Amino acid sequence: MSGSLQLTGLTRVHAAGAPPALDDLTLAVPAGSCVAVLGPSGSGKSTVLRLTAGLDTPTRGSVHLDGRDLAGVVPERRGMAMVFQRPLLFPHLSVRDNVGFADRVRGLPRRQARERAEHHLELVQLGGFGSRPARALSGGQAQRVALARALAAEPRVLLLDEPFSALDTGLRQEMHELLADLRLRLAPTVLLVTHDPAEADALADTVAVLAAGRLQQLGPMRELYARPRSLAVSRLLGGRTEVPGTVTGGRHRSALGELELPAPAPEGPGVLVVRPEAVTLVAAADADARGTVVQVRRRGLRALVTVEVAGRGTEPAAVAAELSPGEEVAVGAEVGLRIPVTARCVVPPAGLADAREGASAHDRQR
Amino acid sequence: MSAPLLVSRLGSRLGRGALAFWLVLPLVPLLLWAAADRWSAPALLPQAWGTTGLAEARAAGAGAAAVRSAVLGTAVAVLATPLGALAGRALTSGALRAPGLVFAVLLSPLVLPPFAVALGLDVLLLRLRVPAEVGLVLLLTVAAIPYTTVVMRAAYAAHDRHHDEEARLLGASAWRVVRSVHLPLLAPAVAGAAFLAFLVGWSDYVVTLLVGGGRLVTLPLLVGAAASATGNDAQVAVLALSAVLPPVALLVVIGSIGRRARR
Amino acid sequence: MTAAGRAGAGSRRATLLVLPAVVPVVVVVGAALTSAVLLSLGLTPLVGRPELSLDAWRATELGTSIRLSLAIAAGATAVATVVGLCLALAVTAGARRSRLLATLSSLTIPVPHLVGAAAMGLLLADAGFLPRLLGIAPADWPALVGGRWWIAVGAEYAWKESAFIALVVAGVLSSRVASYTETAALLGAGRWARFRHVTLPLAAPALGASAAVSFVYTLGSYEVAALLGRPSPEPLPVLAVRLFTSIDLAARPQAAAVAVTTSALGLVAVLVSLRSLRRLAAEQ
Repeated sequence: MSGSLQLTGLTRVHAAGAPPALDDLTLAVPAGSCVAVLGPSGSGKSTVLRLTAGLDTPTRGSVHLDGRDLAGVVPERRGMAMVFQRPLLFPHLSVRDNVGFADRVRGLPRRQARERAEHHLELVQLGGFGSRPARALSGGQAQRVALARALAAEPRVLLLDEPFSALDTGLRQEMHELLADLRLRLAPTVLLVTHDPAEADALADTVAVLAAGRLQQLGPMRELYARPRSLAVSRLLGGRTEVPGTVTGGRHRSALGELELPAPAPEGPGVLVVRPEAVTLVAAADADARGTVVQVRRRGLRALVTVEVAGRGTEPAAVAAELSPGEEVAVGAEVGLRIPVTARCVVPPAGLADAREGASAHDRQR
Repeated sequence: MSAPLLVSRLGSRLGRGALAFWLVLPLVPLLLWAAADRWSAPALLPQAWGTTGLAEARAAGAGAAAVRSAVLGTAVAVLATPLGALAGRALTSGALRAPGLVFAVLLSPLVLPPFAVALGLDVLLLRLRVPAEVGLVLLLTVAAIPYTTVVMRAAYAAHDRHHDEEARLLGASAWRVVRSVHLPLLAPAVAGAAFLAFLVGWSDYVVTLLVGGGRLVTLPLLVGAAASATGNDAQVAVLALSAVLPPVALLVVIGSIGRRARR
Repeated sequence: MTAAGRAGAGSRRATLLVLPAVVPVVVVVGAALTSAVLLSLGLTPLVGRPELSLDAWRATELGTSIRLSLAIAAGATAVATVVGLCLALAVTAGARRSRLLATLSSLTIPVPHLVGAAAMGLLLADAGFLPRLLGIAPADWPALVGGRWWIAVGAEYAWKESAFIALVVAGVLSSRVASYTETAALLGAGRWARFRHVTLPLAAPALGASAAVSFVYTLGSYEVAALLGRPSPEPLPVLAVRLFTSIDLAARPQAAAVAVTTSALGLVAVLVSLRSLRRLAAEQ
């Protein structure tokens, strides 16, 4: 039942002359896997789903399902189902008939469609809700029914467009567990769109980071956290520390001093990015750098502190560190910072990245 | 493009053409006759163009009749719009007892034929010595209340009360909220309701005929009189057009108010 | 203040807001109906002694007029409903929606029925625009105006009311249907299935209600039938107005009886359609 989806060079320009909403996206979703497209609002991530589903036509590029080109195939013949941010249950149908909708339009007799609907309602833990009117459900229940309705269509690809972002935190957690459970049982191919790194982390095998319509980086979430390829990706994933400097001979030189890098990086200007979770406060003797605590923010049991390190002849650098539970430090305290070698990552400076992008756009125009 | 898709596109084109034809066709002879001096069968277009129809219509008193119709329509709109707005507000407030019954009562003039109401009330108005003009405005206002109530009730129902609450929290008084939040947000609905009420007064025929007893000559009465006689098609067309154009112009103005409000 | 006291104050305020509209409606409708019933029963004659009698109800040929009025209203409403639904679909159908049709049908709304009747006369009479357009000689043209089948009358109502129905239904469709039809398409529903299972059920309440309104309107409308109809038999409104304006004062109670009958028919039609709309909602 699960198909493998291949997007190739997908581009969409909404209005002539406007910048493309989606620019040259190539992405594979292997059968039975879950790929998340992660991006801020306006990054073109919903466009990916609308083009895949056939609700909009791509300006360039193609969508292949199990090797078959879907160009010109209408949405109802693509074998996909989508769950939107709003549940969009048909208000004139009961819960059961909403879930049985795909079977009914496929020509299945009403009784059989209802039996199968009941089965799918049990899958989303809403057995017995079938005869309620669609309007009589809470937000979380309605979204479960929408999921059951999509699953009952037995799609070869399940498209999820920020399906849980309208729910509150607890419900969202429950839905994540439900979806993980459904993946174990049914192994559907899932293409998910979200703006929440935690959601992408919880649900997806592979994450594609999208910004301004362009694919920034593709890989497992762990890799994106550890080795962001650009400032944009680092920032989107909650990275806070950005220390400008220069790379020479595999070492990064900046206000923090000279730091050894785990992997070879291109020579020249580069920004050191480090996850706050990786940084620890230590005694001055063991420290990679020393500085003053300028800000402390509470985050539950943990505290997020910002340490300013005065450079010699350079601008001061700000490093964010997440303390372990119960650890306390006061603003103004002099502390030592330990940044493990494996946690160090260098990305191109913002101006340089923009210049490179501009050049490549220029190349395409020619 | 595939063959079935082409056929379906062509089919929908033809269907659209037929619908446009259906809507426009009845108005075509009206437009042609209004500018025709001579147009005898079986010619498809008038043999002589001219303004005879216009001259005849003016001689029949179209100007004064149009003014009377406009005054009548305005009076009905001025009365029925605020009444409908207040009722719409009350119906959506959730504080009203038996809102369903109240709404049904306010819609009841829609169910009753205007001629029946006019006919029943005519005798009473005569006995109470109510002037025909006052009786007419009263009757038509009642006939217009269902429209204004429906429009304003829908507008208040769609109106998000959080806007009001936000305005109150920002320091606006209750009246200020009505003036600075309600009216601007509901302006398109108010304009729409007033337009419908105006139409009730402007285009009424049978109530004016019965209550006015033929002494109060409005534009529709002139159209009716001209259309039931024969051989003056140009005059009928001019009179009919002059009964259509002012409300169409109003509709365009109101449409632009609505668009500006949405922006 | 207690919660109950606040609720009471709110309810009083709401009642005060609604009274200015309710009072004139109740007074006018109540007085008109009461006066018409009394008049039809001979209890309030303009001249002579009040005396209870059913003469007015027996004198007129009510049966023929009722059948004729119902037939005209039913025929015109049926055509208007089908055309109105097609218009609404064309105006709201996704990417290929028609702005032109939307403008044309909203411009038809403010045309008074009387003007529509005059226009239909100029269009459908034997020397009218349509026979000229089709190249048919006046002698060969069927009597659509003033003829046996009340074609011109029905056409005028169908024309005007189709625009009204389209406006109401398009309002419902445009606000709700686009996202639902997209969802349905993704669940595998083709064009016809989307229409049958999503668009039509969502449009049905508005379609039914607007059809009921235009049926009742057509039933009680005077001027179109008076202008474009034949002298006899007469639909109810034409009969009532003729009796009421005749010099014979004795005909007035008969006119009142016809008015009461028409009102009752309209009320029954509304109640029946309300019931079937409610059943429709319950089934869904």
